[in-house]
Amino acid sequence: MKKKLALLLTAAMLTASLAGCGGNNSGSGGSGDSGSSSGTEAGTAAGHKESLIIGTDADINNLNLQEQQDATNNVVLKNTHQTLVFFNNGSQGDDRFVPCLATEWEFTDDTHITMKLRDDVYFNDGEKTPMTAEDVKFTLDMAMDNIVASALKGYVQSTVIDEHTIEIEIESYNNEFVQSLASVPLSIQSKKAYDDGVEDPYYIGTGPYKFDEWVEGEYCRLVKVEDYWGNDLPETDNLAPGVAETIEFRPYIEASSRVMALQAGEIDVCVNPPINELQYLEEDENVTVYEQTGTRLFYFAFNVEKEPWNNETLRQAVACAIDRNAVLEAAVYGKGTLQTTILNRGLWGFYDDMEGFDYDVDRAKTLMAEAGYADGGISTTLSYASGAPYEQIATIIQANLAEIGITATLEPMETATLKSECVEGNQELFLWRWNEDSKVDFVYRDLFYTGSGSNYHHYSDPKADELIDAVATEKDPDTRLADAQELQTYLVDACPQVPLYIANLVIAYNKNLQGQYFYGGGNHDWRHAYIAE
Amino acid sequence: MLRYILKRLVMLIPVILVTSFLIFWAMSLTGGDPALMLAGDNATPEQIEEIREELGLNDPFFVRYGNYMKGMLTGDMGKSYVTKRDVFKTFMERLPNTLMLGGAAVLIAVVVSLPLGIYTAIHQNTWKDTAGMIFALFGTSMPNFWLGLMLIIIFSLHLGLFPTGGKGGLNSLVLPAVTVGFGLAALITRTTRSSMLDVLRQDYMTTARAKGCSEKQVITVHGLKNALIPIITAIGLQMSLVITGSVLAETVFSWPGIGRLVYDSISKRDTPMVTGAIIMCSILMCIINLVVDLIYAFFDPRIKAQYSKKG
Repeated sequence: MKKKLALLLTAAMLTASLAGCGGNNSGSGGSGDSGSSSGTEAGTAAGHKESLIIGTDADINNLNLQEQQDATNNVVLKNTHQTLVFFNNGSQGDDRFVPCLATEWEFTDDTHITMKLRDDVYFNDGEKTPMTAEDVKFTLDMAMDNIVASALKGYVQSTVIDEHTIEIEIESYNNEFVQSLASVPLSIQSKKAYDDGVEDPYYIGTGPYKFDEWVEGEYCRLVKVEDYWGNDLPETDNLAPGVAETIEFRPYIEASSRVMALQAGEIDVCVNPPINELQYLEEDENVTVYEQTGTRLFYFAFNVEKEPWNNETLRQAVACAIDRNAVLEAAVYGKGTLQTTILNRGLWGFYDDMEGFDYDVDRAKTLMAEAGYADGGISTTLSYASGAPYEQIATIIQANLAEIGITATLEPMETATLKSECVEGNQELFLWRWNEDSKVDFVYRDLFYTGSGSNYHHYSDPKADELIDAVATEKDPDTRLADAQELQTYLVDACPQVPLYIANLVIAYNKNLQGQYFYGGGNHDWRHAYIAE
Repeated sequence: MLRYILKRLVMLIPVILVTSFLIFWAMSLTGGDPALMLAGDNATPEQIEEIREELGLNDPFFVRYGNYMKGMLTGDMGKSYVTKRDVFKTFMERLPNTLMLGGAAVLIAVVVSLPLGIYTAIHQNTWKDTAGMIFALFGTSMPNFWLGLMLIIIFSLHLGLFPTGGKGGLNSLVLPAVTVGFGLAALITRTTRSSMLDVLRQDYMTTARAKGCSEKQVITVHGLKNALIPIITAIGLQMSLVITGSVLAETVFSWPGIGRLVYDSISKRDTPMVTGAIIMCSILMCIINLVVDLIYAFFDPRIKAQYSKKG
């Protein structure tokens, strides 16, 4: 009996010691002096947790800016590096693109842009190496040899005018070229670090945070730069110093685990909480669930090169047959916005007042007859990426199509396989999503221009191409807006895709989180965020 | 014995050849272009083609495989398409985590299942046996991601005893190890029970009792030792499976192990990483099997004698 009791006690002690021997994940313990020289309000700096811990939904897999295009990597890199132009989402007034490392710019002619750079910026390399036009030229030239070249379409070369002035040459005038420079992978890097053969030179940036430690698959920790060049900037400036002493990104791939980590206080932010678990978070008094209109457009689409989907009237019939309200409810419990146009909500020139194709089975049947398919009798396949929300969307659409005599076989597959199938044009009907929050050309051209890389519709129309070029190059704002509206109306009528809904951005966080800026596309700004105490 | 071990190690060469070929082949059959995954949504067809050319994806299958094996011969397993990091180095960084999780899970499984298997065997056809077998059935049939989530809810959220996930101190190992170990315990319990039942019916057990040995001595010295071979086989097999098969537990607990690495790499069509990781896992499995074979010899002199003869 005594032996058994001793065994039980030992087991209990072992459990207690194991439970107690982990590190304190809360990172609490605000410091009174942190940020005092940063220009951030002393009161704010005095009462905040040292760390801000963000639970991401994907692994951080590459922090070499120009070798990656991954959203999660970019959210991390946004804290350590800075771009010439800043894509603003509310922190800097209403303008969407505002100066950052470049103070001003102008087109000297259609193909040359002169940019003035800040003269007070230095790299976080321990030597305070100043950032100059040479670094900008080096960064942009290097980008053309890397996979981020796709973000810098049209770039030809740049010329250093003086230490803080650079001239960028582009192939032809483009309304959105300057906006390209707000892309995180194009953040300015130190030429000297590369020239000196520094190990992993891409880690060196000019941002308010620098890398402390990255353990792949576990965490990436950033630490506030004490001698940050912008320490005297007011907190209202987008280049203002950070507040939290450290920002840590931890991947929690399983969404339910991420939710529970937030509830247990192990993380301060839960990115993309699963919609079906929001009620648990909403009931938690320590958690805030934030929701806003997002930019991620989910759509149903046709491979217009394949019979019978090259028939425009037939495509319109299908568009009328789709009950998008049911799709929205099944896919995201109604947490989204229906829209008619093909452009992501929030982008310049968004126009949604065209007639479009509302859910109307009678109209769908009429159009089927007009298209030469009065009796239906079409068998096809609907391809999509496995898992939510595509499974739910596909099931609803399959039932909708059956009502007008179209038998769709569902074909779920991995995203990588689906992408290849779409590029090769093997698919017939498919589901896809497009997430764009800054450049309209990344929607019009990438999705609908003849022969473009993501034109999975295999759509080709000279008039649409002409309008896409006009929106990209037209200098008169009114004419450009008219072109944009005409283009959207034209594409909705041509119907290579049926826009379904824009998913809401949903994010859950510690109720004391402050200073954060959310982006509908998920590229959130954590540089000035902290947990108030 | 030494010659036997060397012979088994030499056998790794065909294993590596066959495994690498099969993985390369399977990855080429699955569809999905790594260049498309890498290029991002805004890339032009020309840019995608450049990436394809740079990675050598336009080369015929056998040229790509040949290039890969050429690298292997010089100890170079290539670089990940996605992270651009050395495959071997990445694997070796993750391996200790997986071994830690696997080792802890197997330890928990053995500590629970051996006594339980013996206990249910010596109480065959009683309610105690039935209860033990219900536990085993429960453990075998319960999905471990579900068990993992339940453990997080109880021990992390409600009791606050352990972290919900991530790799921190020793306490972060408890819940994932229990999750994986529970399923293993069920299988090892069943094996132990059936192996013990076979042994308990042997004449030498009756002889031992007739010689006046205590029941405890009969069971542990005469019974268990003779029942151990199938049990060791089961433990070895489970250990091998844990190395690559803990993807779900690793995902639920955000445990940075090999299973998650391979899973992520497959979804990104990161062929060098997938191939390298699976080759390394195959080597590990061979080594575990070899260790299991050597343990046989330790417990059974007859097997040891056979090895010496073969050697």
